[in-house]
Amino acid sequence: MFNRNYKEKTIESVLFSVSVLTVVILFLICLFLFRDSLLLFKETSLLDFLTGKFWYPTSVNRQFGLLPLLLGSLIVTAGAIIFAVPLGIASAIYISEIAPPKVAEALKPFIEILAGIPSVVFGFFGLVILVPIVKDLFNLPTGQTALTGSIMLGIMSLPTIITISEDAISSVPSTIKHGSLALGATRWQTIYKVIVPAALSGISAAVMLGIGRAIGETMTLMMVTGNTAVIPSFPEGILDPVRTMTATIALEMGEVPQGSAHFHALFAVGTVLFIITFLINLIADLIKKRYRFKVD
Amino acid sequence: MTEAIQNVSHPQIEVENLNLWYGEKQALDNISMRIPKNSVTALIGPSGCGKSTFIRCLNRMNDLVKNCRIEGKVSIEGNNLYGKGVDVVDLRKHVGMVFQKANPFPMSIYDNIAYGPRLHGVSKKDMDGVVESALRSAAIWNEISDRLESSALALSGGQQQRLCIARTLAVKPEIILFDEPCSALDPISTSKIEELIVNLKNKYTIVIVTHNMQQAARISDYTAFFLMGRLIEFGKTKQVFQNPREKSTEDYITGRFG
Repeated sequence: MFNRNYKEKTIESVLFSVSVLTVVILFLICLFLFRDSLLLFKETSLLDFLTGKFWYPTSVNRQFGLLPLLLGSLIVTAGAIIFAVPLGIASAIYISEIAPPKVAEALKPFIEILAGIPSVVFGFFGLVILVPIVKDLFNLPTGQTALTGSIMLGIMSLPTIITISEDAISSVPSTIKHGSLALGATRWQTIYKVIVPAALSGISAAVMLGIGRAIGETMTLMMVTGNTAVIPSFPEGILDPVRTMTATIALEMGEVPQGSAHFHALFAVGTVLFIITFLINLIADLIKKRYRFKVD
Repeated sequence: MTEAIQNVSHPQIEVENLNLWYGEKQALDNISMRIPKNSVTALIGPSGCGKSTFIRCLNRMNDLVKNCRIEGKVSIEGNNLYGKGVDVVDLRKHVGMVFQKANPFPMSIYDNIAYGPRLHGVSKKDMDGVVESALRSAAIWNEISDRLESSALALSGGQQQRLCIARTLAVKPEIILFDEPCSALDPISTSKIEELIVNLKNKYTIVIVTHNMQQAARISDYTAFFLMGRLIEFGKTKQVFQNPREKSTEDYITGRFG
């Protein structure tokens, strides 16, 4: 009796320590990220960093302006979302409401496989196939543009958007669907007037998580966006090369002297990225909590 | 089968040799029935006897069930529902349905009622009137007239069910099907809905599935007893309850099985 209790307690405490470890690791990451970022502000003011228009980390008059990188990330992500959201929601509607069960069951594994492809493979595909197409299509000097990055990111965030939206749509009770059909609504009217509005908070959460997936992506973008750290003009800048925050860190971290201002600047970029993804996940979580159905 | 009912001169709903299968399993076995206009017809029988399946044949909700096969004829005002070129969407405008569990849409009370009329082209300026008259006919207007813009999901179970009835009335059907509408409600809400059904009979033809024998006896004009997919007995409610023709009807009504 005593022995068994002892065992139970041991297992519980091991599991407890493991879960606490995750939290501790997160706090340590935050701590080091923030500490090294703050050291930048001995060199540059926070305002200069956030509003600076030039990222010249290695020239004699070095400048650490975040704007070109932030806007680079934003334009690529915005482009990705513009095309991934309609496609993703349309696919989710098709899979959960329209497709015959056999077709839906056949489609789902492909979406999961799409989610499992390593980003470097996506990048390779983008570089070899999409870059030349964009170059020829718009008659550009280079096909490594924000648009190319957007298309690749869109494809990569589709699985997130589709699976989470589909989950939200399928969780709308069928009693509501039947209620609509019994009033003489067509299947399509039922979908867009009742089912999609009822699943809207879940769909919004899917979109937020899709954005979160896109903004943190590094490897693919490094391979297809050209990595030029200039503020993209809008909207024609979508056809220019850009450089995202993630690509900047990945490209430069290997070459900076540890402890230099440049080193700290990269940490500061990382902190900005961390705060953005944290906020996006937080919003997605808040929306998701609201969509649990109150009908039952 | 009761002669008087078979000879209803102008039945609104006429069912002839209806058979229904779910895959291999036969759920309805050669049902014939003539349901008169402006009456309440109760369908009773033990669980799994086919009464719910039968009522869903009257607005073709069984179309949504996979592997469901139907043979025979169901006519409303002489038009066969299962004939060629029947517009199911149009059919459901004429034959409304209220479900076992109240199923309000997750929107405002007003939008719940306006949903059907909007689909069928009622204009914005007429909508307030349509919504009000539907809510009044469903005897719920006085309780909720001051909060039409609040969510329908905040109403009580009984109010939600009357809202669903109002939503059905707003489409102006001729026939209303009730599939155990009170099974999830308390006795007070149940009596309100029973009263409502009796009042609606003046304007509509009503078919109601119920597990509650007293309910069938209280509100219906005709009663049909189903057992294992067969229609065992169909007649005036009084006759079925007081003087059943079949032994199994009597056993069921007196509570010997079910």
